[in-house]
Amino acid sequence: MKPKETIGPTPAARAGKLALLTLPFLVGLFCVFLTFVPIGSIVGIEVAPAFALMAVYYWAAHQPETFPPYAVFAVGLLQDLLSAGPIGLWAFTYVVIYGVVQTQRLVFAGRVPLVLWTGFALTALLAGTIAWSVASLYYARVLPPGPVLLQLIVTVALFPIFATLFARVERILAPSL
Amino acid sequence: MQDSFSRPAPPILGVSNRVSLIFMVTLAVALLLLGRAETYVFDQARQVVTDLAAPVLELGSRPVAAGRRLVERTDEFAYVFDENERLRQENAELLTWKEKALKLQARLARYEALLNVQLDPSINYVTGRVIGDTGGPFVETFIVNLGHEHGVESGQAVVDSEGLIGRIVSAGERASRILLLTDLNSRVPVTIEPTRQRAVLSGDNTVWPKLEFLPAGSGVVPGDHVVTSGHGGLMPPGLPVGTVIQTENGDLRVQTFSNRNRLDMVRVLQYRFPMDVPEQNPPAKLTAPVPGEESEEGQPSASDQNGALGGTAGGTAGGTAGGTAGGTAGGVVRGSLAGAGGAGE
Repeated sequence: MKPKETIGPTPAARAGKLALLTLPFLVGLFCVFLTFVPIGSIVGIEVAPAFALMAVYYWAAHQPETFPPYAVFAVGLLQDLLSAGPIGLWAFTYVVIYGVVQTQRLVFAGRVPLVLWTGFALTALLAGTIAWSVASLYYARVLPPGPVLLQLIVTVALFPIFATLFARVERILAPSL
Repeated sequence: MQDSFSRPAPPILGVSNRVSLIFMVTLAVALLLLGRAETYVFDQARQVVTDLAAPVLELGSRPVAAGRRLVERTDEFAYVFDENERLRQENAELLTWKEKALKLQARLARYEALLNVQLDPSINYVTGRVIGDTGGPFVETFIVNLGHEHGVESGQAVVDSEGLIGRIVSAGERASRILLLTDLNSRVPVTIEPTRQRAVLSGDNTVWPKLEFLPAGSGVVPGDHVVTSGHGGLMPPGLPVGTVIQTENGDLRVQTFSNRNRLDMVRVLQYRFPMDVPEQNPPAKLTAPVPGEESEEGQPSASDQNGALGGTAGGTAGGTAGGTAGGTAGGVVRGSLAGAGGAGE
């Protein structure tokens, strides 16, 4: 018997690996849906944290090969379609953020949680600025920045929880990478 | 985790990665530009996606609703004694008001009968649950689990127990989108009581929508009541909207009665524009009642009065069982001019 056959993955294992590789994308989609669940109303505040931004940032910083640009685009587009805002707004924002974070990947290579968090705060600020500018241009008027600021603060505050969850997913993925 | 320092540095950007990144950015920009120019296709796509996502959102919104109820219960529990005291006082006040209201109602019914006033058409409604949040800082919309299946159409007014919330902007089979009064695309014609000034309530993504087209020296002061005027025929007249407030820079804005942070069950009003109601002949019916004619068909019978009261309730509280029941054939036809008559005088 050839040694190649014994160490080569079985078709089932290969399929399992493929399924695993789509996991970050599925997590991204899940984050989009979570954005639309009226969680804020439990405590009576009107805020929908940008969960998908966390996913985009995390995977761009850690494993961009598991979350390619078209997946980022798809996640953004789903968010655009579910919200009533300009179509392409979040797709554009997320893809740009993805590109920017990827070029800064080396900074996050050490994976110090605080660095990751600070990086996210800066990323969120950039994302908010981009989205706000694009939306203001789209509607041809200066939109109130209050809601987007509130959204960003809550998103940044919640990031460590989600980063822990994403790290779990990453650990599940680790053997197949 | 441990080997992260010893690992070789990851490649910064692969060529294919960079190409697809640029392609995706271009595509997103193209979508933005296209979406600005051509809305129909995008609206359709959006509706399809919303419809498909509705079951998922519905699933997600249930634990949230339960959580909110729990928080509210706990809140209420803490203030139950104060609340009880307050309600007792309010009840005493309301009882005197009720007396007055009953007297006025009887008098109004008599006058209406005398003048042969055309009544509001009765309004049917359908109740649903908010399953989707705005999901973004730039829009003020909610998704409700009602659609064509339930008779919901674009343009219908949406109310909660307190007052007007907004209107349906797009309706799918199972789910629809509500445009809130605060959204920057929302324009609702309103009347301000007691001066009967007309204005347009215009959202700008802030908490308080502003009053536009209000003439200078209109006599509108903070504290005045804002109700829908029914102009344009999309919404029934007389729906409570909010109270006039004045901001620091002197603008008149409106504090809505409905609390958007606590939206749960909402009602979609299936109002028909009076013009769509057949067999109307406004001038002949509004001008001085002819005695002979009055005895023939204008004489207020018991059922007509029921229709009248029900119709009024439907116009103000957003439709009650009485309002629906009162919608006999007579009610509908008779109500054909009420929108214009009631709002414009």
